[in-house]
Amino acid sequence: MNAALGIGNAACGAAVAAATLLAWATAAAADAAPAASVSSWRTDSAQSTLTFYPTLSGGEFEGRFERFDARIRFDPARPLQCALDVTVDLLSARTGDPERDTTLAGPEFFQAARFPQATFAARNCRPLGPQRYEVTGRLELRGETRDLRLTLRFEPPARPGQPAHMTGSAVVQRLGFGVGQGEWRSTEWLADAVRVQFDLRLLAAD
Amino acid sequence: MPLRNTADTYGSLAKFLHWAIVLLIVPQYFLAEAADELPNGIEKLQLFTWHKSLGMLVLLLALVRIGWKFANRGLPRPVGEPWQRKAAAAGHGLLYLLILAQPVSGWAMSSAGNYPVTLFGWFQFPALIGENHDLQEALEEVHELLFTLMLVVVAVHIAAALYHHFILRDSVLRRMLPYSRKE
Repeated sequence: MNAALGIGNAACGAAVAAATLLAWATAAAADAAPAASVSSWRTDSAQSTLTFYPTLSGGEFEGRFERFDARIRFDPARPLQCALDVTVDLLSARTGDPERDTTLAGPEFFQAARFPQATFAARNCRPLGPQRYEVTGRLELRGETRDLRLTLRFEPPARPGQPAHMTGSAVVQRLGFGVGQGEWRSTEWLADAVRVQFDLRLLAAD
Repeated sequence: MPLRNTADTYGSLAKFLHWAIVLLIVPQYFLAEAADELPNGIEKLQLFTWHKSLGMLVLLLALVRIGWKFANRGLPRPVGEPWQRKAAAAGHGLLYLLILAQPVSGWAMSSAGNYPVTLFGWFQFPALIGENHDLQEALEEVHELLFTLMLVVVAVHIAAALYHHFILRDSVLRRMLPYSRKE
């Protein structure tokens, strides 16, 4: 834009903003949706994954929880008012080896007979950058509750009515929760840190 | 002892690779058998980590050995009748093939079972194939079958070397032995 047009700039900007606002308001009205954007979500379980990556004798492998549920309240305009409530069925951990899955669910690891679920609850997502946030919540696992910090990314729906997409990761120190008893308390062959990742397809739950 | 092969003897690098591979392969059977007996636990994990690490080392050394074989054309002069030379070449070819196929089948089996393969935990090799429990069990059979086949070929290899040394009294065995002096 050259200097001669400089004076027009502010007015032009204001006009564009007003027009955008008007278009947005019209679209929202036409949608006959509530004035606020969607902020309550439930996971589309067929399209969502929760994976974990233990390090076994220096090499990582992937495991996944086949049954989990995440109820999410998240509005990018008000990230601090977010709420993440996740429940994980520990008996649904799968690693591709039935024998290892049994060990994992057993008394030395999850002790799922006594503690069938892990839960995670977090509030106050703090923005880190475009679509990126961090949040510290409480993870309850095997009878222990500890803080867990997540970094996450939230992509709002491309168009109203479409699913939103939330991905993120955390590092769980397994020994803080007693996951690994007896000889498995040693970290020489099984590392303490276990990376956890999630990829959620979120459907409007309003 | 020269690094490269001469007309009379293998060079030190070929000898080193030959005997290093022998020393790495011998414990493999015992490590795998012992690990197989154990319940899931640290000890089993430890033994399999050693088994897999030694196996990957064999694979790497075998690749170097084959590379060196082609880079180092001055092989010791062949001995024996034409049919014996052909049999020896076929036997060696089969042996190289088995030495490569054995670790590769184990690597694929670990990958199918979603078990990481590392070199003593220092370095992780990527998974060769995706997780597949049925395929893991099939590959376990292949891995055991290849081992039996390797035992047979190695037995013939040793018998032939001893036959050359004690019956024919030629230099075939001696030229691959460490510290062998020139005649």
